[in-house]
Amino acid sequence: MVYKSKKINAIIVSITATAILLAGAVIIMIPLFWTFSMALKPDGEIYTSNFFPTSLAWDNFYRAVTSIDFFLYLGNTLKIVIPCLIGTVVTSSLVAYGFSRFNFRGKRTWFLILLATMMLPGQVTMIPSYLIYRQIGWVNTILPLVIPSFFGGGAYNIFLIRQFMAGIPKDFDEAARIDGAGYLTIYRKVILPMSKPVLTAVGIFTFMGTWNDFNTPLIYLYDSKKYTLALGLAFFKGLYTSKWNLLMAATVLVMLPILILFFFAQDYIIDGISISSGTKG
Amino acid sequence: MARKAASMKIKAGTTERRENRMGYAFIMPWILGLLMFTLIPMVFSAVLSLCEWDIVTGLSTIEFVGFDNYKGLWNDPKFWQSLKVTFKFCLITIPCYQVASLMIAFLLTLDIKGMKIFRVVYFLPSIIPTIASTMIWSRIFSQDGILNKALSIFGIKGPTWLTDKNTALYALMIMGIWGIGNTMIIYLSGLQSVSEELKEAARVDGAKGWQIFLKITIPMLSPTIFFNVVMAVIGSFQYFTQAYVMTEGGPLQSTLFYNLYLYQKAYKDYEMGYASAMAWVMFIIIMLLTLLVIKSSSLWVYYQNDDKI
Repeated sequence: MVYKSKKINAIIVSITATAILLAGAVIIMIPLFWTFSMALKPDGEIYTSNFFPTSLAWDNFYRAVTSIDFFLYLGNTLKIVIPCLIGTVVTSSLVAYGFSRFNFRGKRTWFLILLATMMLPGQVTMIPSYLIYRQIGWVNTILPLVIPSFFGGGAYNIFLIRQFMAGIPKDFDEAARIDGAGYLTIYRKVILPMSKPVLTAVGIFTFMGTWNDFNTPLIYLYDSKKYTLALGLAFFKGLYTSKWNLLMAATVLVMLPILILFFFAQDYIIDGISISSGTKG
Repeated sequence: MARKAASMKIKAGTTERRENRMGYAFIMPWILGLLMFTLIPMVFSAVLSLCEWDIVTGLSTIEFVGFDNYKGLWNDPKFWQSLKVTFKFCLITIPCYQVASLMIAFLLTLDIKGMKIFRVVYFLPSIIPTIASTMIWSRIFSQDGILNKALSIFGIKGPTWLTDKNTALYALMIMGIWGIGNTMIIYLSGLQSVSEELKEAARVDGAKGWQIFLKITIPMLSPTIFFNVVMAVIGSFQYFTQAYVMTEGGPLQSTLFYNLYLYQKAYKDYEMGYASAMAWVMFIIIMLLTLLVIKSSSLWVYYQNDDKI
């Protein structure tokens, strides 16, 4: 009898929980569906109250990419994203390897500094960096957006990779060393291949972070010919204030690569976030 | 014997030297980056905050003014307004977002069908580029937007959200709920790492579900709560894109976030010294708040083991 009431209780709990979660999920998805539906509305229906368009205006996407220099912005974005990706993955893994494998003097202090820089608000260094770049003529080029990633690729990424590498048993290094491998070879042939999951996560975070970045390009890129997609979208909003369907079509195009990436790599992303917060790993 | 010991010592010495050399060689890119992109700019920034500086004429006209910039901040009503907006945002959103994301995460840990799908749905908005979600919500908050349509079903005439000084900040807060997925994921993985044995032991001792949640789960989760709260405070002080694109700080400075005002001072008015002073005030506020959370954490944060790092 007691057992049975417990079972009924469990069912009630799980039904209530599912109902709450379902309601929340619907509320969360409405803005997204609405965006897609807006993007497909013909011009005449922008201000009508129907949720779904009566006919699907697929040419909105074509009109959106031709009313701004969409592909120019896409190219500009990739010119920043790709070098950042390479710089970050290569240098953050090198530094993480250094932290996880060698007992050098002052290691603890350096690691604490690394953690401390994760807390440092970027605004403190933003203005002087801008002035230095200005002095050496780098403003309005992609260099300020790209070069820093070749110097460690960010404390957060180093921390993430180090946590992972620390979990790889040192026996693998020893075995390789007995075979005569040097440290660089061990890094390249043993540690990097084993760190693939975390490197993938860091790569994804870097891609998303750079693709989504608005603040840094806004400060450094004045010339509209050099705009990234994020800047271009804001620029678009200023130009066509009433063409919501085209603006939403452009919005969909800007977020689509991120959505696709997310669906393929959600486990890496979710694990990466969990590790960095210290709740896992 | 002594010779052997001596040779071992030498050997140990060379290993140590090699460890030093190799360790520093590998972390060198980061040390250089730290110097060039953090330490030197930080020093420069501190000096700059004590100077008047005209960006057009460059370094030649830099003039030391002592604490004038900081005094200027003290007497600047817009500075106080930006602090007020940011703190108001913190005080309202942090409790709401944390409770909501913890609640969702908790529900997801109950034995529910389709947990993975729910997890994806709730997390999804937080990976959408900020600029894209800003566009989406600009439309949602417009007078004939979907939010006001939903309200009109209940017979409520919605405000003009973003152009009304009484609602603009709340509109941004509502929009923020959409992006709590990140926090939710962190809570979820924190909840999953709470020991089942401990909960089972409490259950055997006759504890009820909510007692287990309050007396075991929450204390075990407190480091995660701590992490999320600190990150949320930092996030509020760095809040920018949404306010810049959707409201430009208006109407009537009602959404003049700290970081937005800093940006305006630096890149619209070109008052680099003043803006640097603002950056340092922000840094100090964040440090103080973090210290406050850390200090108080001994009262409410429970660390199971300290061997994480």
